[in-house]
Amino acid sequence: MSKFSLFVQIQGDNRVVEVAVDEKVSEAGLYKALTDAGISIGSDQFLFIDEAEEQLSRDGKNPVSALKQGARVHLVRCRRVKTTVNYLERAIHRDFAPGTRVRTVKKWAMHEFELEKKDIAEHVLQICNSKERPSSDTPLYALVKNADCSVCFDLVPEIRVEG
Amino acid sequence: MDSIKPPDQLLLEKDLASAEFRCGEIEGKWRHVSTTWPHVIIAVRPARVANGPTEFVFRFECTAYRETAVTGQPWNPETNSPLPAKDWPAGRSIIPSVFRPQWKEGLCLYLPCDRLSIQGHNDWLHQHPSRLWDSSRGILCYLEQIYELLNSNDYTGVLGS
Repeated sequence: MSKFSLFVQIQGDNRVVEVAVDEKVSEAGLYKALTDAGISIGSDQFLFIDEAEEQLSRDGKNPVSALKQGARVHLVRCRRVKTTVNYLERAIHRDFAPGTRVRTVKKWAMHEFELEKKDIAEHVLQICNSKERPSSDTPLYALVKNADCSVCFDLVPEIRVEG
Repeated sequence: MDSIKPPDQLLLEKDLASAEFRCGEIEGKWRHVSTTWPHVIIAVRPARVANGPTEFVFRFECTAYRETAVTGQPWNPETNSPLPAKDWPAGRSIIPSVFRPQWKEGLCLYLPCDRLSIQGHNDWLHQHPSRLWDSSRGILCYLEQIYELLNSNDYTGVLGS
């Protein structure tokens, strides 16, 4: 059986770990593959594939759905991430799956705030009370600073590099 | 007999073999073309637009990597020479502020993470903290910025189209 290379990202750990698994690995098999690769998985941690809404079952016998070469696997404590986006005087809220990327949140926010397409390139999500502007590929859980599994963004104009 | 490689070259090779870099390669974001120390050539995939190329290639000078930032310029791998200005990326707002063929005669990108461009721009330390060189991430922080720009709605193709 051919193998997929998966890239495992762990909440609270900056490392990315590459793990090879059978392309039809079961959900339980994926938990085991990570453990065999030296990744410790606590009872309060769960696996998600990329931006999937549902976690993988620890004893699931079915093959992991939507698995593909190079897929990102997230080992997280937050099963949902409470997300707030502020824009001018408005704030919107939504719970996202932990692997949801900043790009997806921005797209949702632009739609909710009814901003035009040309505004998309000229705005970015910035972590509240900071100047941190995470890249669009960043999964939400990687931005969680507290135990409450929440993240707050301001939608702000992108700054041209000048001077 | 092979000569002993310097630490900066070994660090670069380590980063090019890292899971994070390989993840980007498999996702099709970038690919390592070649290394002729102290230069590394890496192609970055832009968004698909009419008359746009399938990739832009950059040559990075990596002396004193990673404690010192790299400097990167658009490159033509076929002629092994700088990319002509007409073939540089174009855009509406942010892209033209970064890809400036006239800046230092096209030697580097106008980005705070670039070794040459940051010189004399102390104000960028406060204005663009997310665009600065991050020695803990190395060339990945530079590549991610290029990839983000070339895959933003701002990107429109090449200057000469």
